[in-house]
Amino acid sequence: MKRIGKPVFFIIFFLILFLAYTSVFGIYGENGDYTLTYIKGIQDIRWGIDIKGGVEAVFAPEKGVEATDDQMNAVKSIIDLRLVNQNITDYEIYPDYSNDRITVRFPWKSDDTEYDPGEAIKELSSTAQLVFRGGTEQDGEEILTGKDVKNAYVSNIQGSDGTYQKVVSLEFSDEGKEKFAEATEKYLNQQIGIWMDDTCISAPTVQSVISDGNCYIDGGSDGFTTEDATALANKINAGALPFNLSVESYGTISPSLGTYALTAMAYAAVAALAFILLFMCIVYRLPGFVAFIALLGQLAISVMAVSGYFPVFASFTMTIPGIAGMILSIGLGVDANIITAERIKDELWTGKTLDGCISNGTRGSLAAIIDGNITIIIVAVILILVFGPANIFSALFGVSTTGLIYAFGYTLLVGVIANFIMGVGASRLMLRSVSGLKFLRNKRLYGGKKKS
Amino acid sequence: MRQRFHIDFVKNSKIFFCISLGIMLVCLVLNIFVIPTRVDIQFTGGTIVKYSYSGNLDEKKVSDAAQKATKETVSFTFSENLASSDSNSHMVALEFTNSKAISVDEQDEVTEALTKAFPKNNFKVEESSSVDASKGANFFYKCLAAVILAAVLIIGYIAIRFKKIGGLSAGVMAIVALIHDLIIVYFVFAMFNMSLDDNFIAVVLMILGYSVNDTIVLYDRIRENRRKMGPKATTAEVTNASINQCLTRTICTSITTIAAIGSVLVVSLIFNIDSIISFALPMMIGLVSGCYSSICVATPLWVMWKNHSDKKKAEKENKNKRGSKKAVRDSKKKSDKKSDKA
Repeated sequence: MKRIGKPVFFIIFFLILFLAYTSVFGIYGENGDYTLTYIKGIQDIRWGIDIKGGVEAVFAPEKGVEATDDQMNAVKSIIDLRLVNQNITDYEIYPDYSNDRITVRFPWKSDDTEYDPGEAIKELSSTAQLVFRGGTEQDGEEILTGKDVKNAYVSNIQGSDGTYQKVVSLEFSDEGKEKFAEATEKYLNQQIGIWMDDTCISAPTVQSVISDGNCYIDGGSDGFTTEDATALANKINAGALPFNLSVESYGTISPSLGTYALTAMAYAAVAALAFILLFMCIVYRLPGFVAFIALLGQLAISVMAVSGYFPVFASFTMTIPGIAGMILSIGLGVDANIITAERIKDELWTGKTLDGCISNGTRGSLAAIIDGNITIIIVAVILILVFGPANIFSALFGVSTTGLIYAFGYTLLVGVIANFIMGVGASRLMLRSVSGLKFLRNKRLYGGKKKS
Repeated sequence: MRQRFHIDFVKNSKIFFCISLGIMLVCLVLNIFVIPTRVDIQFTGGTIVKYSYSGNLDEKKVSDAAQKATKETVSFTFSENLASSDSNSHMVALEFTNSKAISVDEQDEVTEALTKAFPKNNFKVEESSSVDASKGANFFYKCLAAVILAAVLIIGYIAIRFKKIGGLSAGVMAIVALIHDLIIVYFVFAMFNMSLDDNFIAVVLMILGYSVNDTIVLYDRIRENRRKMGPKATTAEVTNASINQCLTRTICTSITTIAAIGSVLVVSLIFNIDSIISFALPMMIGLVSGCYSSICVATPLWVMWKNHSDKKKAEKENKNKRGSKKAVRDSKKKSDKKSDKA
């Protein structure tokens, strides 16, 4: 057997402890009154509405209306805008273009107990009020409304310096054409405010009288980015939607149900880990202890993948099925180590040398671990594909509540990958390395007979 | 190889089958006649609104007040509010029996009527959900399709990886064990009167993964022992040795996993978190069933299948024996080859 250096154990050991600590507690700094988050810990995890309470609603156009993709984008952008106006930033929104549905989920605003979710849902689905007003004040003269706008779209216009820039082009209806011509004459070289509900979404300055019913809004001296221009066009289109939104389904879970849940889960996690540590150390001794360290590492990776520890990976909404996936992957992680430890025990009883036993035991157990984990990966990948954004069954069933089961697949897949890194990789390295330490070479420490 | 246990699982398999079928039968009878299955509105469509209120109220008056405010027929369930620290707090769940989504306005009317009728009792919406029937059914079928797709791929994978021990039969039996576990999980939900919802799907998925993993670890041992014990050992012998050798592992893994879920269950019982209880309890029982089914259902069934197909092969060879001498020689060669392969 190739010997692994003695320091390897300690390097991996402290690395895992570091990862485990930072993934749970994060690293924060203080800058005056602000708390700076360097690394996100468990407290930064976004909990799903099934745990923390919150609102879920599915919106669809009125019965019998088929919306185009552009119209769906317009609906999405108006819901976006309204959520932000209600000071809800932590929301998820999933448009489903094939079935004309939009699912919105958002958690309770912290410390808001008097919040009325029914009111919020109604507000989100109410018809958008788009109004063009003279000047930049909300009480300015009403020029025209969303009904007078035929279409808004992004286009390119060649500027005076020869470069192209993004603009939002507007087409007005016949009635709108007249109203707009009058207004541009009146407000020449002044601003016209475009209001969506109570928000001013744009306030371009009139540069000339426009009488043909076609105009464009440019992004001023800085110019529009494509996203800005698209967002503005979508919002204006939302005001011109030819249909109303209806609430197809909704659910609310009060925050009082969720308050204890998280503390409770934390207690449960600590109790479970303590038990596993004790159990593994008693039954499998040294390999059991090593397995527990590897398990900590596996858990740390799973938590990191959810909390957004590495900024490159977006954080993930954690739901009850997500926790189930994590528990299953922990079970698999422990299982991998138990299978290996059992093999080593078996080998020791045949009376071979310690190194030979460890080597045979780890090799012999690999096939079972790989086969078991790969079938789990198959399950996880299918769930991700079916219930996630890819949604391979969308042609058959359409988008339904995607988030919950997708979370199971995600945490399970991450957990199994982490299991390969930690439960299989790191734990083997650690075991080989630690078996090189003289005072830890007693076979009894590995589950062998009394007399070696 | 060291072997701590010497239990003849194959010989006793009929007892195990009887236990499994017996439990299922009892549950089925109870399920049909005593405790009907509750399917959450997530799948059937419909509306449930849960209110909390303080103080004691005449249940009849509350139902009347709410019923007057809506055209739909409503059924009421009253209970104590255990989540609240106030011991005098109660809850009432209104289920609109029509299986369609009730609009927010209609729900508001009911809330208003209740607050007006009992202004001092602080009626508050704790939880509400409303699902369109077509959407609920869609979700259910989609889950089913995903589980079936997963099962097919798992059979395929096992068939390839365990070719040496008759891959297809092994794959099919792993799925039989899986179905066994899913039926058990279903009955846990039914017997504890928990409604089938998201949590049910989560538990089903987790047990699916766990059960398959358990079965595969056993198959792996059988594959290895088939090689080690030589062609003379019967399938039953190889299987028994494998199960017994794996038993410590199976027990230890189950103990740790069940302990992990168990602590979740105990803590959520203490804090009375319904949503987590209805997921931890069936999962725990499912785990026990998962490791029982791989040992006592999947592998013995596989042995039966194996013996049956071996017998068929032998019969074929017997027929050949009655033919010319050349044929005898050929078939001998064939069978030798077969046993080498095995």
